[in-house]
Amino acid sequence: MEEKIIKIKEELVLELSKVTKEAEVLNVKALYVGKKSEIQGLLASLKDMSVQDKKKYGSVINNTKKEMEELISIKLESLQNKVNVSFDDTTDYNLKSGSLHPVTIVAHEVTDILKRMGFTVVSGPEMESEYYNFEALNVPKDHPARDMQDTYYLSNGMLLRTQTSDNQIHAMENYGAPLRICAPGRTFRNEDLDANHENTFFQIEGMVIDKGVSIENLLYVMQQVLSEVFHQQVKVRLRPGFFPFTEPSYEMDMSCLICGGKGCPTCKNSGYIEMVGSGMVHPNVLKAGGIDSEEYTGFAFGIGLTRLAMMKYKINDIRVLNSGDIRYLKQFDVD
Amino acid sequence: MLISCNKLKSHIKNSETIDWLNIWETFTIRTAEVEDVRVVGNTFDSVVVAEILTCEEHPDSDHMHVLTVDCGEDEPIQVVCGAPNVRVGLKTAYVKVGGHIDGMEIKARPLRGILSNGMCCSGCELGISDNHDGILDLPHEWRNGANIKDYLPIDDIIVEIDNKSLTNRPDLWGHYGIARELCAITDHELLTLEIEEIVNDKEDLDIVINNPELCYRYCGLKIDNIKNNETPLDMQIFLYYVGMRSISLLVDVTNYLMLELGQPMHAFDARIVKNIEVGLANEGDKYTTLDGIMRTLTKEMLMIKNGAKYFGIAGVMGGLDSEILSDTTSAFIESATFNAGSIRRSAVKLGLRTEASARYEKSLDPNMTDLAIKRLVYILRKENPEMKVASNLTDVYPNSIKEEVIKLDKKTLNIYMGRELADSQVVNILETLGFKVEVFSDDYMVTVPTNRATKDIKIKQDLIEEIARIYGLENFVPKPLKLDLIPTVHENIFDQEYSVKKLLATKFDMHEVNSYMWYDSALLKEFNMDIKNVSLVGKDVNNILRDDMSFSLMNIVKENFKNYNSFEIFEIGTIIKNNENKRVLSVILADEEKNLEAIYSKAKMVVKYLFKIVKNKSVQFVNNVNEKTYYDSSLGKIISLDNDKMGEINVLNKVLTNKLGKKKCVVTVDIDFDLFVQLEKDVKLAKEVSKYPTVNLDYTVIVNDKKYADLRESLKEFRSNLIKEYELVGRYENKYTIRYVLGSNNKTLETKELQTFKERFISHIKKSGFEIIE
Repeated sequence: MEEKIIKIKEELVLELSKVTKEAEVLNVKALYVGKKSEIQGLLASLKDMSVQDKKKYGSVINNTKKEMEELISIKLESLQNKVNVSFDDTTDYNLKSGSLHPVTIVAHEVTDILKRMGFTVVSGPEMESEYYNFEALNVPKDHPARDMQDTYYLSNGMLLRTQTSDNQIHAMENYGAPLRICAPGRTFRNEDLDANHENTFFQIEGMVIDKGVSIENLLYVMQQVLSEVFHQQVKVRLRPGFFPFTEPSYEMDMSCLICGGKGCPTCKNSGYIEMVGSGMVHPNVLKAGGIDSEEYTGFAFGIGLTRLAMMKYKINDIRVLNSGDIRYLKQFDVD
Repeated sequence: MLISCNKLKSHIKNSETIDWLNIWETFTIRTAEVEDVRVVGNTFDSVVVAEILTCEEHPDSDHMHVLTVDCGEDEPIQVVCGAPNVRVGLKTAYVKVGGHIDGMEIKARPLRGILSNGMCCSGCELGISDNHDGILDLPHEWRNGANIKDYLPIDDIIVEIDNKSLTNRPDLWGHYGIARELCAITDHELLTLEIEEIVNDKEDLDIVINNPELCYRYCGLKIDNIKNNETPLDMQIFLYYVGMRSISLLVDVTNYLMLELGQPMHAFDARIVKNIEVGLANEGDKYTTLDGIMRTLTKEMLMIKNGAKYFGIAGVMGGLDSEILSDTTSAFIESATFNAGSIRRSAVKLGLRTEASARYEKSLDPNMTDLAIKRLVYILRKENPEMKVASNLTDVYPNSIKEEVIKLDKKTLNIYMGRELADSQVVNILETLGFKVEVFSDDYMVTVPTNRATKDIKIKQDLIEEIARIYGLENFVPKPLKLDLIPTVHENIFDQEYSVKKLLATKFDMHEVNSYMWYDSALLKEFNMDIKNVSLVGKDVNNILRDDMSFSLMNIVKENFKNYNSFEIFEIGTIIKNNENKRVLSVILADEEKNLEAIYSKAKMVVKYLFKIVKNKSVQFVNNVNEKTYYDSSLGKIISLDNDKMGEINVLNKVLTNKLGKKKCVVTVDIDFDLFVQLEKDVKLAKEVSKYPTVNLDYTVIVNDKKYADLRESLKEFRSNLIKEYELVGRYENKYTIRYVLGSNNKTLETKELQTFKERFISHIKKSGFEIIE
């Protein structure tokens, strides 16, 4: 009897292994556990057995039938879950999208950092008066920057701004002290074009005015901004510089990212790269903005966004940036 | 500017305790940028003083000589030499066999058959002058066999300082000023300059300043009996190392003073000086300068005149006829100070920037002129003990400048520095820089020396700069600024520009370009167009500022048609219209001619989308009668919002389009971004979503001879409280499919209600004159 039961089960396993379709499984099911199946017959025959035999075979037959039903349902589910892969799942995709200008991307990055430090992003006019571009910024009449060969003067008596620093005056007039602003924007210099020189390029201006602002605060903000832009901790160093709108004025150098400060051709072996023009806001500039220089101090800085974009993307000819050539521009991101 | 460390050493006490190679890194962060530090004089060895004992012509050469020289050894040595100035008794520089010149070993070798043991050298060969006309002619008292470096300052370190970083420091345009600065940096003592005091017991020279506002001071002195016009070798080497040519003693000594003190000087031939007058030129006069070039003068140029004739362009260059001649024994020495702006303008206008003008335009200290003359006399006398001072040191100084006193309060100093400094430290720093300081409890009273007062030290912040840089900028540590937690001012123009740019690049796959503020002249010419607007002064191409953003981008469109049949670009930029700045968003869609309808439609969709997504506003398009002839006259649309014009959509006219590319079309969008930024975004309040199912009903309407705009009006007129929303979902030729979403918030719609809706709608549409596919 036991042998018979084992044999039935083995037969089922064999049959199931042969079938590949749901319908066939159902046939097998009817044959092996259906009403007319052999095991059903064995179950029916129990009633004619002795009490001893009933005890002996009853549970064996029942358990075997359950196991057989289980095997069938597992087979059935595995067939139902089996998806016929009828498509090519190895194709490539066209990931084309539009593009933002590299300067836009870098401007967004820098303003994002400054915004997180509490700066407001302001915008100023590109056609500017001599007053806002020079006079209010403490640039004297005889200063070389005012020369025709540096500045685009206009037929209506205005000029194209030579720096974003005009925003300092506008912001002070508009908002007063205390003040934390940055101003990315287009600037213009009367220059002949070559791989390193453009007449139209972008800067970002920054200005903080409050009580007790020190040189060390300027150093901190610059170190943070540059570290975030270049995604690594950079070292900054101050050097005496000269700008009419700041006093003291500083050139800010950043440790060279190529050689890590050891000296290489990129940094002309100095270990540093000139990055930022900066300084403490000149009292005359504060005055022009209607702010009392005895009560407030502040710092201001200017970073070349075009230059930053060129460094970030390793662009070696500045002229492509204003060329509008989609072949070149399409390679940049949208973020 | 090139600086010789040997020269600096001569002005500093105990200068040997300075590390002359490495001090310049510190100088860069204390004072001015150093671009290069170069060791010179190390290209040769074994060069000694040698005396020519015999000199015979080389039997086999027309210019060489066979010499025997005494180079301090027991026996005379035979050398073959090709220099023209060989003679018996000449002392010269001689390289021994085994010595090196420029890295090359000197060997004993035959020259045209005669053995030459070593080599006699010119200054050029030793790298100490550019003279290669003959071998060096050394003073007779020098000892034969002595190392030449024992007599001459050949080993030196030459430092190049970035001129731009000295713009603000008139006092640093000479070695003495740099030495003063180094003393402050390294805490050394600056030596006083040796001078010859001049006793004014003779006649004054006839000097007149007509324009005291342009010439602050003019000192003149006449000296006679200058018999020796040979520049000593050490001065020649110095001049050569710092980039100047040695000419003659009188000229060299004026240059030497300029390099030492920063005071430009001029030596005129005293035989032709009558009376000196400083005044303006006549407009248009011609004048030939020392370099032999004829120049045109303007009435703004300050001139030195002699006997009513031009003698030199003040502060820039002397005249050809004022040149000192080699046979002169008397000189008129000029040492003057001019207005910086005036000299700069003259130099710029003449295109002639000289060592003198470069210094004058930094605002030199007028109190330096007489010192320079006294120093010059002292140096000149070393070579000419018999020289005579032939006039008074004549000094015309109409408005002498005085030392200024600035009050520096400790409170401000501490704020800037972010720390408190000891009085002694502040005083020490300022005093080594030449300031005088009086200390009070809350302030310092600082007297500014005139060599700093002409330009860079005017206010207390200037003094703070001095203290901070000598204190050491590297000692500052980045410190966060602690501020009150108050909201910053609200301005979001930049953010809005960025979000619109990002939408265009991501949603519509367009490319952002950057362009110029002006029209491309070549393209305007090709278009045969003349646009009037604000222009750049002094330029005749690319000089008209743009007043139409999209149109100014047509040169970019043209370039891209060379590589693409279709493309879409955008830029947010400034145009100048009616003399005002205006921000404009320009979007340009360019394609093949057959796709005009598609890109025109896309342009409208993009505009609708921007206003909808960024501002939640719905704009209308109104037909535009375009005054701009370069756009198609019938396809122009005004982008209108509540009857305000927000911008335009245009199609470039056929003729101009053909000039950009064959069988192409160009659709432009210009949105007034100033107005766009000002638009408040409408806030939509939340609506309940119905619990009951909605039903979608699609109707396809044929517009026949009408336009979609008519259908839109008709749909707008049809009302039913079952309508949740409706939209255009498809179009094929003149058939438009409208989808209605119907539903109720209170119940599931019944078939009867839907049937009624259908009948009403179909009848409405038919009544409006459309066909409907049922």
